[in-house]
Amino acid sequence: MNTRSLKFRLVAWYAGWLTVLFLVFGVFVYFSLGHYLEKSLREALFRRARQVADTVERSALEWNVLGQEIQNHFAPEANNRFTRVTLDGVVKYTSGFPNDRSFGPATVPPAPVPEREESFEHRKIPDDPALLIVMVSRTAKAGRMVVEEGHSLGPIQTTLHAWLVILVSGLLLLVLVAVLGGFVLVQRALKPVDRIIRTAEQISSRNLSERLPVPQTRDELERLSISLNNMIRRLEDAFQHTQRFLADASHELRTPLTIIQGELENVVGKSLQKPDVREIAGSALEEVERLKNIVEGLFALSRLDAGEAQEHSAPFDLGELAMTTADQMSLLAEDKKISILCHCHQPVIVEGDRARLKQVTVNLLDNAIKYTNSGGRIDVTVTSLNGHAVLEVADDGIGIPSAAMPHLFERFYRVDKARSRELGGAGLGLSIVKSICVAHNGRVGARSNQGEGTRFTVELPLAKQSSGS
Amino acid sequence: MRCLLIEDERKLADFVSRGLRAERFALDVAHDGGAGWDLASRFEYDIIILDLMLPGLSGTELLQRLRKQNTRTPVLILTARDAMADKVQHFEAGADDYLTKPFAFAELLVRVKALLRRGPANQASVWRVADLELDRLSQQVKRAGKRIDLTSKEYGLLEYLLANSGRVLSRTMIIEHVWDESFHGLTNIVDVYVRHLRSKVDDAHAKKLIRTVRGSGYCLSDDSET
Repeated sequence: MNTRSLKFRLVAWYAGWLTVLFLVFGVFVYFSLGHYLEKSLREALFRRARQVADTVERSALEWNVLGQEIQNHFAPEANNRFTRVTLDGVVKYTSGFPNDRSFGPATVPPAPVPEREESFEHRKIPDDPALLIVMVSRTAKAGRMVVEEGHSLGPIQTTLHAWLVILVSGLLLLVLVAVLGGFVLVQRALKPVDRIIRTAEQISSRNLSERLPVPQTRDELERLSISLNNMIRRLEDAFQHTQRFLADASHELRTPLTIIQGELENVVGKSLQKPDVREIAGSALEEVERLKNIVEGLFALSRLDAGEAQEHSAPFDLGELAMTTADQMSLLAEDKKISILCHCHQPVIVEGDRARLKQVTVNLLDNAIKYTNSGGRIDVTVTSLNGHAVLEVADDGIGIPSAAMPHLFERFYRVDKARSRELGGAGLGLSIVKSICVAHNGRVGARSNQGEGTRFTVELPLAKQSSGS
Repeated sequence: MRCLLIEDERKLADFVSRGLRAERFALDVAHDGGAGWDLASRFEYDIIILDLMLPGLSGTELLQRLRKQNTRTPVLILTARDAMADKVQHFEAGADDYLTKPFAFAELLVRVKALLRRGPANQASVWRVADLELDRLSQQVKRAGKRIDLTSKEYGLLEYLLANSGRVLSRTMIIEHVWDESFHGLTNIVDVYVRHLRSKVDDAHAKKLIRTVRGSGYCLSDDSET
């Protein structure tokens, strides 16, 4: 269990506080109950002791009659009480065994000489629960008389013990209910958050126009989803701005490029007798060509960002596509004495824009050929794996330094600037590959060991009809 | 041939009109939609080259008006937008061809001629340049009477060069005609194929037919000067 989760902490706090409150309440009740029970017992005993003392005083101290009278009037045994009358330290009367046998009267220690007229104490007796004994002393003509009235504390202890059992089991039950109830409550309370999270996770650069559900609760959740929605809107604005800028820039560059190209071609045509002018114009034209490639690349990227790839979607065999493309590019490879091996024999049907996915293959193969040394080999593999079509292009070329790996698919990123420029790259090939893959709900990754080669892996969802086969 | 060019970008209009006049077109130029419509509705043109982004009357509206008048004049659209949806929309509105900026003048010319059905002037089944012969029916190539074996891509490349012999063809044009748009930007594939083609067609002969024009592309011609 995740002890740092909001759910756990909420429930723990909630159950913890409930337990503490219940404990405080229980302890309070325990002690006040004990106190109350003892107080009422004490008061009853005092009343009785005074009555006994009064009776004794009135009876002119006829001890034989007196014992009988106390027995008749007060029946201490039937009331489970202890009664003892002492005159000047000599015991004149002691009650018998109480009916419940909660103590033996003979074992009750003698009373100390009381300092005040009325007092009480807990008196321990061997083998039995302690007794609560109240003492009332009177001074008569015959001497100092002490009446003791006692009652076992056992029943009070039993009551308190029973209460303690109830308290503890109640506490356990309460904690259980608090935890379970807390979980259910928190779960319910966090459900809208869950929904917000799920929706938020599905929002990517391609569906920024979607918004999170806003629970009409006028609380933090509503504010959270509203402020998240505002953030998505700002992201969408920024994203659209970039996209528009990209599209506008590549668009605005087209006309001047056409003019430059036209004028330069004109110069080349008119300067047949001036090789140096032709050389300069030709060199400028080469740069125009490079610019055109960049503009085309940027424009392609901006259209992919706008989600255009889905327009010409149809199912086709990725293996066949890879094979054809490799065949079309074989001369490029042969030129560098590189062999391309195709392992794409079984049909792997994907659904998408064939021309775009062909461009993925072309770009990856072109890359592999560029960065593989003469005599090397390139392996092209198409398989279906875990419901995905996988296209792999692996070479045994110069590889990519690990520091460059995270930037590989960024626009205008070049691993080796000098070499890439020499080979005529614009630094857009791999970002186009990535954009195409993303537009097809797929992804592209690369693994490389410097000096040993690079492996690009493209994963695309299989076409729906064929995913079962 | 009478041609109307409607293009607001003056420099672009300038070099296109210079090029077309050099090809002996009678050319009128309009720099905005209104003037273009004025000319197009008053005179019979053999072809109209129309930019889409025009001040005043837009190219799209102009095209629609033109087609409402039932004019059959072929219209070649010049545009900086090459989104597929745009293309479809304009073909439906009655455009005959579509050229995306930036373009090489040679490509514009090839397309204009194709629209005028003068096309590659050569409709014969056997094309000849100097002592090079290409038979489009049997797909056989001979140089000085000797047969040359070509792969299908090499044949496609040679056929395209021959069909436009004497013109400089850019690598982009070659890629679009012989390969497909997936190979865009991959200009070295053209270089490699041209080199292979040269080794088969030119290497054994003193007279080289395939010329490289730096910065522009390739040209197959009988010109002896280089």
